[in-house]
Amino acid sequence: MHRIEVDAEIDILDIDKRLAAENRDFLKKHGITAINIMGATGSGKTLLIEKTADTLIDKVKIGAILGDVIGKADYERVVRRRVKAEIINTGKECHLDAHMIHHAIEKFDDVDLLFMENVGNLICPVDFDLGEDYRVVMVSVTEGDDVIEKHPEIFRLADVIIINKVALAHAVEANVNKMIEDARNLNAIAKIIRMDLKKNIGFNEWLEWLEEALSRSK
Amino acid sequence: MSFTQAIIENVLKLAEEKGAKKVSKVVVELGDLLLINPEQLGFCFQVLSCGTIAEGATLEIKFVKPHIECPICGKHHSYPVAICECGGIVKVEGGKDIIIKRVEMEV
Repeated sequence: MHRIEVDAEIDILDIDKRLAAENRDFLKKHGITAINIMGATGSGKTLLIEKTADTLIDKVKIGAILGDVIGKADYERVVRRRVKAEIINTGKECHLDAHMIHHAIEKFDDVDLLFMENVGNLICPVDFDLGEDYRVVMVSVTEGDDVIEKHPEIFRLADVIIINKVALAHAVEANVNKMIEDARNLNAIAKIIRMDLKKNIGFNEWLEWLEEALSRSK
Repeated sequence: MSFTQAIIENVLKLAEEKGAKKVSKVVVELGDLLLINPEQLGFCFQVLSCGTIAEGATLEIKFVKPHIECPICGKHHSYPVAICECGGIVKVEGGKDIIIKRVEMEV
């Protein structure tokens, strides 16, 4: 037996990149705007989909792929809003990936807008391109006003940063301006929205952004 | 864990192609901006390689820094800031890949 050294140059993310590109081709072919929504559990991701559906469902066909470690609670919530939905239980994985989306995507060929609601955390989903058009990251003031500076990479790569539950900022002593400043220091071009979904703050700003995004895909 | 699984699958495939009896070392380049904990990667490598010809192999991790440069003034930054002191929007490239660079094996 003797020892050899083999130069490899194998890209481990190559399969993910290829599948994400295939997802992107599928979405483009069918004129679908796809949004990867990321954020912690309880930040308001599912409520954002519900409220968006309540407003747009008569003029925009909406689909949602819902990633959760276990359970179908989110699925049941959006289906009640006439959203065409599919659940992906990721089991031991803490994020969606392009492969999971690849399996689920075909039934959504007739929608105009597809939400991909990622598993609730600000770390694991970052490294996985799903083939989406836009990345939306949602945080709430109740997570603490240092949550953005603690998770730089997810905010650096976001197209929209939503700071939710701003009506509670005073009660939890969170400084929303600091959160906005942190977001801007990490990302010069993302749309930043102050929001409180339960108090209808910032929701119109979101709809305006979304309608512009939808018109770009047409 | 899924990354480690992919590393091991690729290493074993390569070893089989070369007719190796044992894999002794795997050199991996890891992008600095990936949110992968290298200690966890090493631990998963140990566990997932058990019972394969890569059991006991050394996993050497080399970190690759991203290229962070302001396109306006040309300043290089050591970490990803959004806006340069000159007001330019900083460009970040690389630092997001996992590459198996080299595999040492006994044939």
